Amino acid sequence: MEENVIKIEHLYKSYGAVKAVQDLSFVVKKGELFAFLGVNGAGKSTTISMICGQLAKDGGTIDVLGYDVSKNFSIVSRKLGVVFQGSVLDKKLSVKDNLRSRAALYGITGKAFEERLAELAKELDFESFLSRPLEKLSGGQKRRVDIARALFHKPEILILDEPTTGLDPQTRKLLWNVIEKKRQEDGLTVFLTTHYMEEAADADYIIILDAGQIAAQGTPLELKNKYAGDYVTLYNAEEEQIKKLDLPYTKIKDAVRIKIQDTASVTELIVKHPKLFTDYEVTKGKMDDVFLEVTGKALEGGMQ
Amino acid sequence: MSTLLNVVRRNLKMFFKDKGMFFSSLITPIILLVLYATFLASVYRESFESALPEGMEISKKLLNGTVVSQLVSALLAVSCVTVSFCANLLMIQDKANNTISDFTVSPIGRATIGAGYYIASAVSTLIVTFTALIVCLLYLLTQGWFMSFTDVLWVILDVFLVTLFGTAVSSCVNYFLTTNGQASAVGTIVSAGYGFLCGAYMPISTFSSGLQKVLMFLPGTYGTSMLKNHLMGGVFREMESLGWPEEIVSSIMDGVDCNIYFFDKQVEVWQMELVVIGSIIFFTGLFVLFHIISKKHLRRS
Repeated sequence: MEENVIKIEHLYKSYGAVKAVQDLSFVVKKGELFAFLGVNGAGKSTTISMICGQLAKDGGTIDVLGYDVSKNFSIVSRKLGVVFQGSVLDKKLSVKDNLRSRAALYGITGKAFEERLAELAKELDFESFLSRPLEKLSGGQKRRVDIARALFHKPEILILDEPTTGLDPQTRKLLWNVIEKKRQEDGLTVFLTTHYMEEAADADYIIILDAGQIAAQGTPLELKNKYAGDYVTLYNAEEEQIKKLDLPYTKIKDAVRIKIQDTASVTELIVKHPKLFTDYEVTKGKMDDVFLEVTGKALEGGMQ
Repeated sequence: MSTLLNVVRRNLKMFFKDKGMFFSSLITPIILLVLYATFLASVYRESFESALPEGMEISKKLLNGTVVSQLVSALLAVSCVTVSFCANLLMIQDKANNTISDFTVSPIGRATIGAGYYIASAVSTLIVTFTALIVCLLYLLTQGWFMSFTDVLWVILDVFLVTLFGTAVSSCVNYFLTTNGQASAVGTIVSAGYGFLCGAYMPISTFSSGLQKVLMFLPGTYGTSMLKNHLMGGVFREMESLGWPEEIVSSIMDGVDCNIYFFDKQVEVWQMELVVIGSIIFFTGLFVLFHIISKKHLRRS
């Protein structure tokens, strides 16, 4: 049986009249890449703050690795690594001084610190700017150091709050490669919130939050099948013939894109109109379509 | 313990690497020096000479020693508090930048975080104020030195105590501030106001009697006075040895706030020390209490 590393039941949080989180219940399994999606104000950061022991909950329970966060946070904190939305490291200090001060919070000092620093600097490629102050680094360089800080004490769960927003594709790729390696080698569980749909599409499980409640959840495939359907792109087809199918379609360059409920319906359509399907391709809907369908809102950065 | 030392080391580095924070802590002492250099020194000299009874002579060395020791005691009294407020700005900056979250998600306790700010603020303020003390003593040496070795030791203790007092008060005040705007407002008020409140810019004896009564309830008044007593003690001994009448020396001591009265009762120097020590214990205890309460209650919003 797969182990639940995070278990949340009937979680509530309000700010005055604003209900930020309402009756939220879900589990995150060990080694999973778990994605939390929602527009700004959906309740993602509030939930993360409560998991990280930063914010008091109004009701419900949060268990992390079998420990109640509100009672045993000192134990839980050793198992969590957190990458915040913005860098929270000291801009005036060098990369090494920053990591030294943060590693000491977990009792990592002296030789153990130097060894772990060398390891992470190599993996995240920041050896060349170890002695440079953080304020002199680019956004991508800073983010690499943020990830190193979160991974320094070898956490079992890594919480990433929009970790790649504003980063160049190369840095995003590097960060994801390192995180993927940690998942494969160390069984790291990753709890992700992101605006990038292609990152969410790689998740093992997704929860879409809307107004503090779960609007949809499942694997990317389940969500796509349920909310986005399939698309058939027909090349060299005449629009008059497409109209006769009586299905929603959009014209794109040199082709027509037809929305179909599921893959079985596509097979049925091909069998019924074989002459029409001479040059075609079938694609699954995208996570953007899922998000739009579920919440009625487009996710900022989602179409990138 | 090693975790606390590392937090203190980080906070000290932040203070000395942040030029804005470091130099803003020196603004008040610099203003005081500029005021002194431009007109305060001559005003003090003239008012002192004019206050002396007719026919009474004062040597240039004694006059300079009196005026300069009055200035440096004011400068040190103000610096100990305003520098500690600036050094403690890091506590607010960390909240404003959300850096505090990086500490609170770690296993370190909130009490250790608080102690880290307190100790680092005290150490960095002590470095600045003891540097200022050395400069002040050297200046006094060139202008008119009348201090004994015991006086110097007392002044060192006074600077230490007033710095701890400043650290304890600033820790309590800054604990509730969360934005840079609030920090700069408090910094401005403290820098501008504390010098007047503690009698550093102008002797309390020149204020109205109502205001004097209010200031008697502020511990900073006693911190400034004990510094003045120890820095100017040699000057008064010299005056007495020159045969100046006791009433005149006593009235000078009244005029420069070496003699402080709680209503009608004169406060002895050892009582001033006790007031400052008591205030340090009180405000430090309050700061610890804030952390105990915050440990029990997580942030609600």
